[in-house]
Amino acid sequence: MSSKRASTAPAAPKPPTSLSPTLTIAEHASLVGSYLITLGANTVVHPRAKLNSTYGPITVGSNCIISERSMIGLQGRGADGEGVVIEDGVIVEVGATVESKVIGEGCVIEVNAKVGRGSLLGTHCKIGPLCEVAEDEVLPDYTVLFANGMRRIDNSGVEDLKLKMVARQIDVLRRLIPSNLTKFQ
Amino acid sequence: MSTFTPYTYFQCPCTDSSPPVRNIGSDSPTSIHSSSSEDEKAFDPRAPRANYSLYPLEHLLYCEDCHQIRCPRCVLDEIVTYYCPNCLFEVPSSTVKSEGTRCTRSCFQCPICIAPLSVSSLEAPPEGLGAEHASQGGPYVLNCPHCSWSSKEIGIQFDKPNGIFTQLSKIKNGGDPVITARERRKDREERSRDSAPGPVTDEDGVQDETVVKLDPNEVLDAESQFSNLKAFYQAQLAEASPANALGFSGGDYGYGSPGALSRIMGLYTGGTYADKKSKAKKGTMREAQNAFEGLKIVAPNSEDALIAKLQNEGWDATSSSLQRDEQSTHTPFISDLRPIAYLLRTKRSKRCKTCRHILSKPEAKIQTTRFRIRLVALNYIPSISIKPLQPLLSTQLQAPLVPMKPTQFLLTFKNPLFESVKVNIATPAQTPGRFASKITILCPQFEVGANTDAWEEALRDGSKGVEREKRRTKAEASEGQLQAEAGKVWERGRNWVSVVVEVIPASLKPSPDFLKTEAQRKLAEEGGEDDRVREDEDVVEIPVFVRVEWEADTGGEDGGLGKEKEGREKRELAYWCVLGVGRIG
Repeated sequence: MSSKRASTAPAAPKPPTSLSPTLTIAEHASLVGSYLITLGANTVVHPRAKLNSTYGPITVGSNCIISERSMIGLQGRGADGEGVVIEDGVIVEVGATVESKVIGEGCVIEVNAKVGRGSLLGTHCKIGPLCEVAEDEVLPDYTVLFANGMRRIDNSGVEDLKLKMVARQIDVLRRLIPSNLTKFQ
Repeated sequence: MSTFTPYTYFQCPCTDSSPPVRNIGSDSPTSIHSSSSEDEKAFDPRAPRANYSLYPLEHLLYCEDCHQIRCPRCVLDEIVTYYCPNCLFEVPSSTVKSEGTRCTRSCFQCPICIAPLSVSSLEAPPEGLGAEHASQGGPYVLNCPHCSWSSKEIGIQFDKPNGIFTQLSKIKNGGDPVITARERRKDREERSRDSAPGPVTDEDGVQDETVVKLDPNEVLDAESQFSNLKAFYQAQLAEASPANALGFSGGDYGYGSPGALSRIMGLYTGGTYADKKSKAKKGTMREAQNAFEGLKIVAPNSEDALIAKLQNEGWDATSSSLQRDEQSTHTPFISDLRPIAYLLRTKRSKRCKTCRHILSKPEAKIQTTRFRIRLVALNYIPSISIKPLQPLLSTQLQAPLVPMKPTQFLLTFKNPLFESVKVNIATPAQTPGRFASKITILCPQFEVGANTDAWEEALRDGSKGVEREKRRTKAEASEGQLQAEAGKVWERGRNWVSVVVEVIPASLKPSPDFLKTEAQRKLAEEGGEDDRVREDEDVVEIPVFVRVEWEADTGGEDGGLGKEKEGREKRELAYWCVLGVGRIG
C-alpha cells in the first residue's frame, strides 16, 4: 500500500522533527511542513493523523493521543513565529481540526470539533463533538463546550482520574499501534 | 420561496358524519360559475376541520372486517408494555401505578444536556495483576459523558453502583439525607401518641415539649410539605366526621370517595342537604400550625439568599427554562438541578373502534421491533404519487406554478392488492377556496393491474422495461410533444397506472371589481375582505374523490364464518384525497 502511494506522488519533504524515544507513531501518520515538529514522551499518533508544520511549528506534550484524520497545525499563513502548542495529556479525537495557539493540559477535543487559530484553551477543557472555538478566543480552565455552542465550567474535580484514564488508554494503544519512529526522524 | 414537495393526503371516512363541506358556488368569492350543482358536496381541504381528517397514507390503518380506512382518531390504543428506553427493561403496570412513570433502576438523564448519565467510581481503577477481576470501590457518581457534568457538583455521591434511583431519592442536593414520607409518618404517629388524644385545637404548647426528632420550624421542600399537609388534613377529616354513614369523610376534601361523588350528583339533581352539611362542618377545621403539619412560613428575607447567590454567581449559575421543564420542583439555579430519571415508554396495540378487531399489535418483547399484526392501509388501497408531466431540469424542480398557464401532472396509482382494481376518480371543476384553480382529469376511469408475485415481477423485469419504453415512445410519437389525450391512460405497468391531470392555476391577484358578483362586492364592502394572500393559500390543493372496486375472495379471509358462500365478492371503497401539487408563483 505504502509503496503504491509513494510511486504515485513524490514524497513530501520531511519536516525537521524532535521525537521522544517513547513516542508511538504509526507508519501512516503524515508529518509535513518545514517548521519543527516536537512530539513528547508516551504520546500516541494514530495512522492518517495529519500534522502540518508548513506555516508554523507544532509542539505536542507527553501522554497525548492524536487520532486519525485529525489535522494539527495552522492550515494557512499566519503571523511570524505563531505555532500550535498542545500540552500534556490532551486527546484530539477523530477528524478534529486544531489550529489554536495553546491547548492546555488534559483537554479533550472531540470528534470533528474545530479549534480556531490563535485561540487559547485553559487546562482540562472539553470541546464537544462538532463544536467550534472561534479564532483568538480564550477559554478559561475547565470550560466545557457542548451541544449547540453551549458552555459551562466543569466543577466535578475528577481531573486526576481523567489523566489516569488517558494514561491507561495510551497503554492499550501502544500495544495496538505498531510504531515506526525511524520513518519520521 | 421555500421548496415544495407534492403530497397526497387521504381523508379518513370517520369524519363523514359531519363532513367539512363548502358550497363552492356561494362561498368562494372568486367563483363565477355559481350554479355548478354537482360540486356542491365537494370536500374542502381548506376547511378548518379538514386538518383533523387528512393523513398521509403511511399513517393510516385498514380494518379488514369493516373494510374501511382507520385513522389515529378512529382506533383505540391499548398499552401492551411499559419499558425504559435506556435499559430496555419491562416495567409491570402495577409498578407504574405505584412508582410512577419513571425508570426506577439506574437510568438517568443529565439535567444540563439530557444525555444519558453513566455511573462511575471516584476511585482510581485498580491496577496490577488481576485488575480486571477486582471490583472498583466507591464512592460512585453519576457522570455525563457529553458535557462532563457529574453529580458531585450537586454534592451527591452513592455507596453502591446499582439501584441509583432509590439511593438518589434519599439524598438531597448537597448530600443531606431526605427524611422519607415513611419516617415522617412514624414520627407523626409518635408525636400524636405522646401528645395524648386531646382536642385538636389546643395542642400548641403540648407539642414543643414532646420528644421530637424533627424541627418544627424546618424548611420543607415541596414534596415533604405536600405529604405533611396531606397527612394533616386527612387526620382532620377523620376526626371531624368519624365514619360518616354516607361514607364520605366530611368537609370539602373527600374528593376521591364514592360519597363525594354521590354528593356531587345530589348537587346536580337539586338536593340541598349536602350543602348544609358541609357548611356545618366548616367550623371544626383548623389550619396547619407548624412544619409537621405542612405549614411553611415565608419569611420576608427568605429570598435574600437567592438574590445574593444571583449577584455572586451571575447568569451562568441559573438554569435555563428547558432545564427547569424537566425538573419536578422549582430549580432557579444549576446547583438545584437533579438527575432526570428516564421517562418510560409504551408499546401500544390498536383496535378498530367500531368492530374492536386488532389492527396493529407489536411484539410484547421489548428488544424486538416487529409487529404480530399490522394492517396498514398501504397494503389495501392504491397509493397516489404526483409528478409533473413535463420533465424538468433539476434546477427547475421547485419552480412555482405560473398563473393561468395550463400545467399537467402525472398521477400514478399503484395497486397493492393481489386483484386488479377498477378506479374512478373525480374532482370538482375548480379547487375550493378564494383562488379557484381549474382542474381537469383527462382519464377519470381506469383499471389497475394486480400486484402479482414479486418473483414473477423480477423474472419479467427485463422484458417489462422494454415494453414500457415502447409504450412511451409510442405515446410521444402519436401525440407529438408530450401531449396527453383525453380518456386514455398515459402509461401502464404491472400494478400501476398513470393518468394526466391538467391544472390551470388561479391568479393570486384579486379579481377586478367589475367581475365580482353582487354578493362578493357586498362582502368586500361590509368588512375587511382581505385581498392579501394568506398563509399557504397559494398552494394548489386538489380534492379528489377516489372510488376503488375489486373482486375479492370471501372464503379465505372470513374463516369459518363465510365458509358456505365461498367464491368471489365485489368490494368497493370510496374516499376523498387531497393532492398538493405546487405553489402558484
